[in-house]
Amino acid sequence: MSSIKPTGATYWRSLDELSRTPEFAEAVQREFPNDEFDTLPPATRRQFLMVMGASLAMAGLTACRWPKEEIVPFAHRPEFRVPGVPEHFATSMEIGGAALGMLVTSFDGRPIKAEGNELHPDSLGALSAVAQAQVLQLYDPDRSRRLLLRESGQEFVKRWDDFRAIVPAQFAGDGAGIAVLAEASSSSTQAKLREKFLGARPGARWYEYEPLSRDNEREGTRLVFGSAQRVHPELTHAAVVACFDADPLFDHPASLRLAREFAAARDPESGAGARLYAAESTYSLTGVRADDRFAVASNRVPALLAQVAHRMVADHGVDLPAAAAGFAGSVDSAASDAEARFVQALANDLAAHPGYSVILVGPRQAPAVHALAAVLNHALDGVNHTVTYSSVPDPDRPSHFEAIAELAARMGSGEIETLLILGGNPAYNAPGDLGFAELLAKVPTTIHLSLYDDETSQRCTWHLPCAHTLESWGDGAAWDGTVTLRQPLIEPLYGGRSAIEVIALVAGDEPISGRDLVRRSLGQDLPAMSSEVGWRGALRDGVVDGTAWQKTTPKLSPSALAGAVDSLRSVLDTPDPTSDRLELVVMGDAKVLDGRFSNNGWLQELPDAITKVTWDNALLISPATARELGIGDGEVVVVEANGATLELATYVLPGQARNSVCVALGYGRTAAGQVGDGVGVDANPLRTVAAPYVLRGATIRGTGRQYALATTQDHFAIDTIGFNERNHRVENLVREASLDAYLANPDIFHEYDHHPPLISLWKDHEYEGEQWGMAIDLNTCIGCNACVVACQAENNIPVVGREQVLNQREMQWIRLDRYFKTDPDVPIDEIDNAEVVFQPMTCIQCENAPCEQVCPVAATQHTPDGLNAMIYNRCVGTRYCSNNCPVKVRRFNFFNYHKDLADTTKMQFNPEVTVRARGVMEKCTFCVQRIEAVRINARNDNRPIADGEITPACAQTCPTRAITFGNLNDPKSKVSHSREEHRSYATLAELNIRPRTHYLARLRNTAEESGGESHAPSHAEADTHGKESV
Amino acid sequence: MSTTHSDTRSYLDNTGDNPAVRARLVVGDNDFHAITEKVCGIVEMPKTPKMWWVAFAISSSLTLVLFAMIGYLITTGIGVWGLNVPVGWGYAIVNFVFWVGIGHAGTLISAILFLLRQRWRTSINRFAEAMTIFAVVCAGIFPGIHVGRIWFAYWLFPIPNQMLMWPNFRSPLLWDVFAVGTYATVSLLFWYMGMIPDLASIRDRATTRLRYYIYGFLSLGWRSSNRHWHRFEFAYLLLAALATPLVLSVHSVVSFDFAVSIMPGWHTTIFPPYFVAGAIFSGFAMVVTLIIPTRKLFHLEEIITKRHLENMAKIMLATGMMVGLAYSTEFFMAWYSGNQYEAFTFLNRAFGPYAWAYWIMVTCNVVVPQVFWFSKLRNNTLILWIASVLINVGMWFERFVIVVSSLSRDYLPSSWGYYRPTAIDVLTFVGSFGLFFTLFLLFIRFLPLIGMAEVKGVMPQAHLDRPGHKGHGDYHGDIAGAEVV
Amino acid sequence: MENQTMTAGDETVLYGYLAEFDKVDDLLVGAATVRDAGYTKWDAHTPFVIHGLDAAMGVKKTILPYVVFGAGLTGTTAGILLQWWTNAIDYPYLISGKPLFSLPANIPVAFETTILFAAISALVGMLALNGLPRLYHPLFRSRAFKRATDDHFFISIEADDPLFDADATRELLESISGRKVEEVEDVV
Repeated sequence: MSSIKPTGATYWRSLDELSRTPEFAEAVQREFPNDEFDTLPPATRRQFLMVMGASLAMAGLTACRWPKEEIVPFAHRPEFRVPGVPEHFATSMEIGGAALGMLVTSFDGRPIKAEGNELHPDSLGALSAVAQAQVLQLYDPDRSRRLLLRESGQEFVKRWDDFRAIVPAQFAGDGAGIAVLAEASSSSTQAKLREKFLGARPGARWYEYEPLSRDNEREGTRLVFGSAQRVHPELTHAAVVACFDADPLFDHPASLRLAREFAAARDPESGAGARLYAAESTYSLTGVRADDRFAVASNRVPALLAQVAHRMVADHGVDLPAAAAGFAGSVDSAASDAEARFVQALANDLAAHPGYSVILVGPRQAPAVHALAAVLNHALDGVNHTVTYSSVPDPDRPSHFEAIAELAARMGSGEIETLLILGGNPAYNAPGDLGFAELLAKVPTTIHLSLYDDETSQRCTWHLPCAHTLESWGDGAAWDGTVTLRQPLIEPLYGGRSAIEVIALVAGDEPISGRDLVRRSLGQDLPAMSSEVGWRGALRDGVVDGTAWQKTTPKLSPSALAGAVDSLRSVLDTPDPTSDRLELVVMGDAKVLDGRFSNNGWLQELPDAITKVTWDNALLISPATARELGIGDGEVVVVEANGATLELATYVLPGQARNSVCVALGYGRTAAGQVGDGVGVDANPLRTVAAPYVLRGATIRGTGRQYALATTQDHFAIDTIGFNERNHRVENLVREASLDAYLANPDIFHEYDHHPPLISLWKDHEYEGEQWGMAIDLNTCIGCNACVVACQAENNIPVVGREQVLNQREMQWIRLDRYFKTDPDVPIDEIDNAEVVFQPMTCIQCENAPCEQVCPVAATQHTPDGLNAMIYNRCVGTRYCSNNCPVKVRRFNFFNYHKDLADTTKMQFNPEVTVRARGVMEKCTFCVQRIEAVRINARNDNRPIADGEITPACAQTCPTRAITFGNLNDPKSKVSHSREEHRSYATLAELNIRPRTHYLARLRNTAEESGGESHAPSHAEADTHGKESV
Repeated sequence: MSTTHSDTRSYLDNTGDNPAVRARLVVGDNDFHAITEKVCGIVEMPKTPKMWWVAFAISSSLTLVLFAMIGYLITTGIGVWGLNVPVGWGYAIVNFVFWVGIGHAGTLISAILFLLRQRWRTSINRFAEAMTIFAVVCAGIFPGIHVGRIWFAYWLFPIPNQMLMWPNFRSPLLWDVFAVGTYATVSLLFWYMGMIPDLASIRDRATTRLRYYIYGFLSLGWRSSNRHWHRFEFAYLLLAALATPLVLSVHSVVSFDFAVSIMPGWHTTIFPPYFVAGAIFSGFAMVVTLIIPTRKLFHLEEIITKRHLENMAKIMLATGMMVGLAYSTEFFMAWYSGNQYEAFTFLNRAFGPYAWAYWIMVTCNVVVPQVFWFSKLRNNTLILWIASVLINVGMWFERFVIVVSSLSRDYLPSSWGYYRPTAIDVLTFVGSFGLFFTLFLLFIRFLPLIGMAEVKGVMPQAHLDRPGHKGHGDYHGDIAGAEVV
Repeated sequence: MENQTMTAGDETVLYGYLAEFDKVDDLLVGAATVRDAGYTKWDAHTPFVIHGLDAAMGVKKTILPYVVFGAGLTGTTAGILLQWWTNAIDYPYLISGKPLFSLPANIPVAFETTILFAAISALVGMLALNGLPRLYHPLFRSRAFKRATDDHFFISIEADDPLFDADATRELLESISGRKVEEVEDVV
């Protein structure tokens, strides 16, 4: 084995230069440049890039760099492949045991953009911000690119053959002392391989761990039905949705589908007006959308639900099954009038809409609370209407935290000889009380398969580079069980292998490729797959139709329920938090989740929907609690819980529950890579197996030090003048009314526009032909940030880093304006609660664009089709246009932000879009490259452009379809229709800028305003619905 | 001729306001030759005074700082400044407006006072014109370097380029290019033309071949022919007549950069007069700031008399009041227009995050000049000098308030921001003063800093008070039997 | 200075006579006398503008104003044409829904070009009409003449004036200046 000595290698510039180097010659000889890696020192990325370059160059020489396995449909007709014409491949990614279908755009062999797969039940064509950022992760230069063996304090570079050599020794015998720790997986291929592996080694144990697990829901159903069930909310026809710490619109494996259904359930034009209640400790995106939101400590959420049960039984005679009767009586007193009001309103509304109401409980709540919700949904006749059940795979596995706890115990007792860790990063994200990182040292042989040489890998003896989602074959199941396929879009850049390939390898299977593994497994599951046609069809679609799990109608199990009642009692008995014994809620971050995406610049720089914080996690605290504890906004505090402490800055957030502080996981990484290292602080040490989400008895004390959080928008706390003015302006900018007020007076939103007639000095310009315009529906926008990342990926928008964001130089073209709406009578220093509203803001393409007339070099002018075009190569950068932009959506390249970009990362660039130089202004172009692409095709086919044929990246990925784009000169186009809606209004119309982007006003549907009457769909509809969902 | 000490006041004091007595524009025992001696003497000094060297050492090193900063800016990017979105303009534009404003006093003194027959201007106009040129040089730097791609700044000029595109003449920035360009050119012509006879004087007194050739070349062979003087006078009059509307237009156009935009706090019709008044205000402040030390250093108290200083103090008082009026008018309009954005902008100026800048501005520009109401105070050279310096500070902050505070909080609260200058910003600004003073020191050392020919023309010996004379620039024969042929 | 002193072998001819005055009044009277004597190729030299001297000499009013006015008009036209041709004809583009050419937006530039052209013509015109720059002139050969830019006043009559007469002219000048008249030589 070769010990490491750094060698100074030259950076490759051109093919010719390269082809002269012996490395290249050698690389060309081999089929796999990857095997080259064992001669590389670990430290230098340049070395790697050189070989990367070699492989790229080979691509150039051998026409293309395709996997040797054929990828349908490409393999079918290579002669039709026109270089420079993008192709789309259906594939998928898996997070937390649910597969999400994607459609990836590949440009000459480079995957450059991920979009949703319309055929996939959990995507329906949309894709979350996180999933879209996979493309950037694929090209991450920090990804591990070699096998490493660490022993006796030394590091040795290995090759796969070396690993294969040790397998028989390590995984021999009956498997006693062998343990596998895997991430949650829905892949039937992996399940089969696991059985094979365990079958041959009865003594071996298989553990599954996810730091952000939905097991509480799973266990809750077990408490009610006796067996674990999977819960599927169905919101399309819901009239009342009650969320208890739940975030179905964002933090749910099927959130994209649920968001789409919710949008439909609230479409005022079709008369639907579902009402959303939320009781939660910290703002979730669902909570933002809620018509009636009650901020309450997570610890008290169960009590609220119990009271709702009580009221429904007491006031409305809703009858609970005998075994569950105990639930109702458990709590009957509200802590405050506000709470009582909320409970009463909710109870009334739920009881008034049997069959149209659903209660959802979030993963951080105890199983007993989920059990209660299940019982109530049952009692409200929600089953098979607003909530359906199906079986879960592997119903008997222990919950994730039990699993990791047991593994830790066995590691501690030294039973484990060989530990194989497939993905994940337990050394970083296992609950702090396990001390997992230290325990790894007690295991003689630890093998970690991972994308990065991360915290866990560095403590393991073996590190194996993992193939990225977009580099590997695989399969999985959607949340509803639909079989979903995964195919590689590019040869593994760093010689990684996927989990199934590694399992196959250690299972002693003759090493066969991932493709063969998947195909064999699917062939066994689905006869259709064994035929070439079926297989190729499945690859093309990315899903196999009609493979969703059979919906079940589980029966309540009295025996189980008895236990559930008791455990709920114990949950309810826990005392409510106080300012000296706070509740610390630990949640998964909306961007980097449990930290697995920490090294992704797009996600790190993505402003958090509520706080607008980038590159950090903060301690969310309510203004009242902050005042009580004498802690200021942005002050660094020390949080203590379960004996562990945490030092981080506060973010005073109105609407955060009193005495409940909240911190996101996924930060404070030490071995994430250049991007993610040292960003934020790590909250995992505070978690315990017993209380992984809601930590009681936490204390915080201020240090007096201030820390600047890099936010892209004002904090809630600003000077009084600014605060008052902001409140004053919001109602005009983000127009909102109650549903009933709107139905009573459709013109209500235009009572804001009082300005003199908007006349021009000159004869107005005639806009002939296609005139592009956009409509953004604020009623359906949930602020999920998907559009922001879609835009960043599509338009080569640079990541600028924390320092630049602190200087207010972030570059994202789409800004998700977040405004707190507070009661005007309450002075700023007494505010505790606030409503949050979103307004997606990007270039609104004014017809009388203020930016155009001030540009001295005409670098921004109007195109014939009405776009406010930006001509990058003409721009000299006076920034006058930005100054004169009333919505400040122009972005300036203050530095050359692409200078230090790794060559791999450059492979992600969209070749259709200019990469902007230093000193140049840029902004949203309505994705002009997409418009032109369609226009060219239409011209070639000599036909007009059809409505909906052009979708900008943001509209394409929007889960609720809140963004409509089209031709304003076509009266039949969807965008023209939305323009004519009463809710349609233009921002700052009084300036006579005539924006091409219009907004559709937001509707609120609270019980008071409509006298408790929610707008339920007709019962005829309900029956049909009842039928179809059974 | 000898001056008689008609009163008890120091013979240097000619600040009386008795209309019966024509106040002397030049005091002390001076004949034509004495003036020549005094002025050319400075240029001909065999040994440069120490003070000059000290000042020059400081200013030239500051100039180096300026160039270093510009170099760093060009190689690294505009990001080295504190700019951001929303505040896309900061120090650079503030400095630009500040320096252009400084320039205005020069043209005003040489052109407008000339047309108004203010003969006292003769002692200071050369000096003020020079100041104009150098201020415009400093001003010209900033628009040039504040663009993102400095190497393409020439695209602002209507010259054919690789894109076969023309600049956009609807943009106020382009108007700026023409206004400032014209202003620089005309000021230079004006200044140089006025200097030709004096350069000839230095030529004729030259004791070394080098000096003879250099000044001989610069004076273009001027032989003080009266036929030449005739056209010279005419050309001077015409240039003055042209420079007057020009000087008013330049700052008006500069103000268009703001007035033509739609930003609350910028979009207002009061800007042109407001900016011009401010420019004259700051310009005179700068003249006073410079001239007081200079006249001490080179003993020019007899030519640049107390009366000159007093007159300038009065002008500063007047323009200061105009500026104050403009401030209050803006506030009134903000309230009266009923425009919520406008109203907030001004509330925010006075009480928002940039209130400190606003109140510095008000104190220096409105409060300080009030001391000039009292003749004791305005005739106290030290107080006058301190006040003038404070006014310069205040006028810089006026531009800062207009540019930055308006941008930092515009229409959408979501995009509100705050601008903090970086060290580079500050050093670049300081460096521009270095350049200004360097040029200035070179000027007073090598060029006639007082228009001798003009001063001689207003001395009693020139018989201006000969009965029948109708004042400066009057061409009617007053000799028996003279008639125009 | 050396270049002024005659060196042996220099072929010289008479340029004219140079009379020196040290009082403004004497100059004015003298000038009027010479004018009335009908001389045409003569001039007065003064360190600064002396009012009334033009009349005393009968200097014709200069045409400079007309030159400058013409140049100004040219400037205006050039300014308007430039903006109209570049923005409305040669490379038209739609900006903020505004017309391609509208006078209000073009006034500032047109105004500036007017001033620019006029100002340049004023200086250049003045120099041209004065026949400047002319770095050499026979008068520079006179040492006394150096004070013409300091504090003395002169009247020069050129030898090739039709009325020039070596003796009569000398007498005339000496009578008005009351001192010896200098003969200014010129090198052939």
